[in-house]
Amino acid sequence: MWCMVLGMSVPLTLLGLLEREPSHGYDLKRDYDTFFGRGKPLPFGQVYATLARLARDGKVVIATEPGDGPERKRYIITETGASEVDAWLVEPLEPEPHLQTVLFAKVVLAIMLGRPAEEYLDTQRRAHLARMRELTEVKRGGNLVDALLADHGLFHLEADLRWIDTTVARLDALTKAVTR
Amino acid sequence: MIALGLRLAVAGGREAATRLVVVALAVALGTGLLLATLAGINATKTQNLRYTWLNSGVAEASTAARPGVDPVWWLGRENYFRGEELLRIDVAATGPAAPAFPGIPAVPGAGEFYVSPALHDLLRTVPAGELGDRFPGREIGVIGDAALPSPDTLLAVVGQAPSSLEVLPSAAKISSVLSGDTTTCMRCIVGLNDTMFTVSLSVIAAALIFPVLIFIGTATRLSAARREQRFAAMRLVGATPRQVSVLATVESTVAAFAGALLGFGVFFALRPGLATIPFTGATFFPNDLALTWVDVLTVGVGIPIGAAVAARLALRRVRISPLGVTRRVTPKPPRAWRLIPLLAGVAELAWFVGRRPETTNGQTFAYLAGAVLMVAGLVLAGPWLTMRIARLVAARAQRPAALIAGRRLADDPMAAFRAVSGLVVALFVMTAASGAITSYVAERARPAADSAAATSLTEHFWAEDLVPGAPVPSVSDIPAELSTIQGVRAVLAVREGDLQRARNGDIPEGPGVIACTDLARFPEYGACAPGAVTAAVWPDLIGPRTPGYSRAQQRVWPASTITDLDSRRLLSVVVQTDGSDAAKERARTVLATMRPWGWYPATEAEFESDSARTLVQFQRLADVVILASLPIAGCSLAVSVIAGLTDRKRPFSVLRLTGVRIRMLRAVVGLETVVPLLVVAAVAIGAGLLAATLFLRAQLDYPLHAPGGGYYAIVGGGLVASFAIIAATLPLLRRITGPETARNE
Amino acid sequence: MIEARGVTLSFGETPALRGADLRVAEGEILAVMGPSGSGKSTLLHCLAGILVPDSGEIHFAGQRVDTLDEGARSALRRDRFGFVFQFGQLVPELTAVENVALPLLLAGTRRRAAVAEASTWFTRLDLDGLQERRSGELSGGQAQRVALARGLVARPRVLFADEPTGSLDSLTGEHVMDLLVGSAREQGTTVVVVTHEARVAAYADREVIVRDGKVTSLDAEPALS
Repeated sequence: MWCMVLGMSVPLTLLGLLEREPSHGYDLKRDYDTFFGRGKPLPFGQVYATLARLARDGKVVIATEPGDGPERKRYIITETGASEVDAWLVEPLEPEPHLQTVLFAKVVLAIMLGRPAEEYLDTQRRAHLARMRELTEVKRGGNLVDALLADHGLFHLEADLRWIDTTVARLDALTKAVTR
Repeated sequence: MIALGLRLAVAGGREAATRLVVVALAVALGTGLLLATLAGINATKTQNLRYTWLNSGVAEASTAARPGVDPVWWLGRENYFRGEELLRIDVAATGPAAPAFPGIPAVPGAGEFYVSPALHDLLRTVPAGELGDRFPGREIGVIGDAALPSPDTLLAVVGQAPSSLEVLPSAAKISSVLSGDTTTCMRCIVGLNDTMFTVSLSVIAAALIFPVLIFIGTATRLSAARREQRFAAMRLVGATPRQVSVLATVESTVAAFAGALLGFGVFFALRPGLATIPFTGATFFPNDLALTWVDVLTVGVGIPIGAAVAARLALRRVRISPLGVTRRVTPKPPRAWRLIPLLAGVAELAWFVGRRPETTNGQTFAYLAGAVLMVAGLVLAGPWLTMRIARLVAARAQRPAALIAGRRLADDPMAAFRAVSGLVVALFVMTAASGAITSYVAERARPAADSAAATSLTEHFWAEDLVPGAPVPSVSDIPAELSTIQGVRAVLAVREGDLQRARNGDIPEGPGVIACTDLARFPEYGACAPGAVTAAVWPDLIGPRTPGYSRAQQRVWPASTITDLDSRRLLSVVVQTDGSDAAKERARTVLATMRPWGWYPATEAEFESDSARTLVQFQRLADVVILASLPIAGCSLAVSVIAGLTDRKRPFSVLRLTGVRIRMLRAVVGLETVVPLLVVAAVAIGAGLLAATLFLRAQLDYPLHAPGGGYYAIVGGGLVASFAIIAATLPLLRRITGPETARNE
Repeated sequence: MIEARGVTLSFGETPALRGADLRVAEGEILAVMGPSGSGKSTLLHCLAGILVPDSGEIHFAGQRVDTLDEGARSALRRDRFGFVFQFGQLVPELTAVENVALPLLLAGTRRRAAVAEASTWFTRLDLDGLQERRSGELSGGQAQRVALARGLVARPRVLFADEPTGSLDSLTGEHVMDLLVGSAREQGTTVVVVTHEARVAAYADREVIVRDGKVTSLDAEPALS
């Protein structure tokens, strides 16, 4: 589950990091590990493979500098890449459990890019609450099994919402921590 | 632990400080009252001891001959001056070894006299014709305090020649001056029934102190919840129940100790004022209002101990549980057995109607036991009555205020009644005393100041009182100057009538006889039967009073069988004055010269005033009791109002948020206090009047007269004061039910 | 139904609301969320005419509320609004059914009729058999349901609920919310419920968030009715 979520967002996260400024592959890995890795460092192989795939899709371009080794290559985000990051940030996630990491990645990136993180979170909040309302409706009308299943979802969504609230309350501190 | 308790007590914040001050003040008030009572009892005893020596002429112990002592002739007489009693003792030493007299250096010789300081002052300021001429010779000194019951005592010790006194049947020869207690002296006539005064002082003190005690109790409970939380927290962190008790006890004891000290101050500050209250009919010497060491120690140690006990009782609950006070539970309702002592008291008093005990002690015991039973019964029955009325109110209520108030009272009638129980005692005592005294005074119909009974002086010449061998006074002996005194309207001579008929109880006829022509000129003395020439009359032309006899109608004297008045000896002289002091005193002084060794002429009113005056003073004391205890009861009520509000702070403020008018909450608080106050007042007044009726019926066979306007004014004023105190707490309601209280915390 | 426009209110130096705007449609069930101290209870108190804002306007059914005097606002609360708070709202001296009947009694209904009307709510709110209990003899959830019955018995236009499940466990709290929403829908009562719990807010039709004394609306504001 963890890998799947991670796999889903690594290219977009790297693109987001590139939107700050053109970077070397090593810098990208270091920043990724610092903010998003959390004990699971990104292998160099995956970094370069992902960057290669992004370059193939025209989302980044590679500026080659004189010298040897991988550090010669600097990656620059393209218009296509930037708009993809934009679209991804704005779009709320499907209110399903275990999306903290993605949500977190979005928030941190939004802050790094000077985007309105609070709005993203509020949008997410609305999506969550809408889902909770649906589940509550299911619970009120349904049988015990439905109610219990709905409760399971509700409690998890509630946990996300709490995290969203806590994050909103500490956005200022977080901004300081990631922009330094 | 005690040090910690002390620190908490003095540094416990404003709330604790307020509680300390309130408790201390209440204790001070209670202590002051208690000390005043004890001192009053002591002073009454001391005063009585000072009266003792005046009985020397009648006591066997002093009249018995003693070897080596030259006896002194002694003649004690009662005299009046401006309505005050004036004691006069004529003495004559028979030799140099006369017994020592208190207050004077030696027995005065013939033509000399000693006077009390009060009389000394009068002699200097009053014209001699009104007073000074009654004393022959010259004043040689002032009598010392040791011989005076009161600083106001009017007393003269007049020296005479032995030859003047030895012939008098009423003079006695004494070989010593009586001293000590007079209780064993059966024939003693001068002095007080100090048992009666002690009992009445104790009752008054109880009536005053009870509300104070209730107030102390209520004040101790003030903000008890907060304090209980604090103590509960201490239990939670491991304080033992004993340690918490010590803490609580220290706090109350500090307050009580400070209050007791302050109480001594209050007492000594009030003492000069207290001494001037003529409680026994005469004022006290301030120094007589003294406390014995036993009194001082008992009060000084007993009160703080009492407060400590009260604190322990008040904090019982906390000592049990470290989790503090549990959920509010409805206390057990009081049961009907609480009525039994009250009914028993009424029954006891009723039983004695028509079965009056023979002895004074028996009477005192019977009525006192009944009264005590009724007081205790009222205090016991109060919660039950409060509950019944409250249930009735709650069941009948259509408005929410009455419903809530009724329910709360019915839930915990004890708490509601506790606040007003002091009032019950005070109102009962006052009403019973007022009812009994008003009726007694009314039955004795104290003469109006302008009636013949108050304005006419009578000098009697009973044959058996006259000095043997001395000339019998006749009409011609009536001093001519008597009629010339300004303010004297008439001088009437009454002659001796048919004494045989007068002694026959079946014929209501006086022993005197007077010409109808004389009587016709002075209709205030009554009238002759139509066609009669002479009338059989009483020597004072007024006669004994009969209960229920109305003075409004003119008295018609029965015709006498004796018509030849000149053949009859003189029985009495009646001097009618305009009622002014000057005329009365001048006439008295002159009239007294007709019978120099006899009792002094006096008005009917003066003879009767003694008992009535004492009673009126009792009534005034009862007024003091009620005036003091009603506001104290009001304060207790106010404190319990505050406690009741704090209890329901949240629901009340929620109600206010939902748009309930503060008027409705005020009505709740008002009903919760006014209902018990009025119920209790009504019951106490009813019981007091019932007790007075039963007492009057049993002891004197008098009917009950409605108490006078002053009584209603005082009860009404006291109730109004109590309501004002309650009303003073109402602004608190608005404050503590503000929206901030209802915020979710 | 209810509208707040630019409402500001300070307690001494501390600002509680700084320009709050809110619209509540008739029959709507609105959840007001927000962190502690954000001013959500204060907003509710302003909407209900308990507090008067320093500036801004409060409208109820086309009528200015904030300009009314205390007496008129009390009358409005008594006659048009119902309230449910977190705890401790029942008068301890009265039985449960008398507590429910209280608003009717205050409105002048005879006691017998008021108690009879109040009793019907006991069936609706699963409280049968508890009519004669005192507040001390009720569980938290029972007491809240009695309070709910009291809030609704006089058929108010708006029910204001301030953390109505705040002292209850989640299951009991949801039972109370379920009944609250059900009864309000049935009667067409507008509900404003202040809560910090998302699962309570999920019972509402719509939610707003109060942050730093301002209202953030996540959904489209309803048209003013």
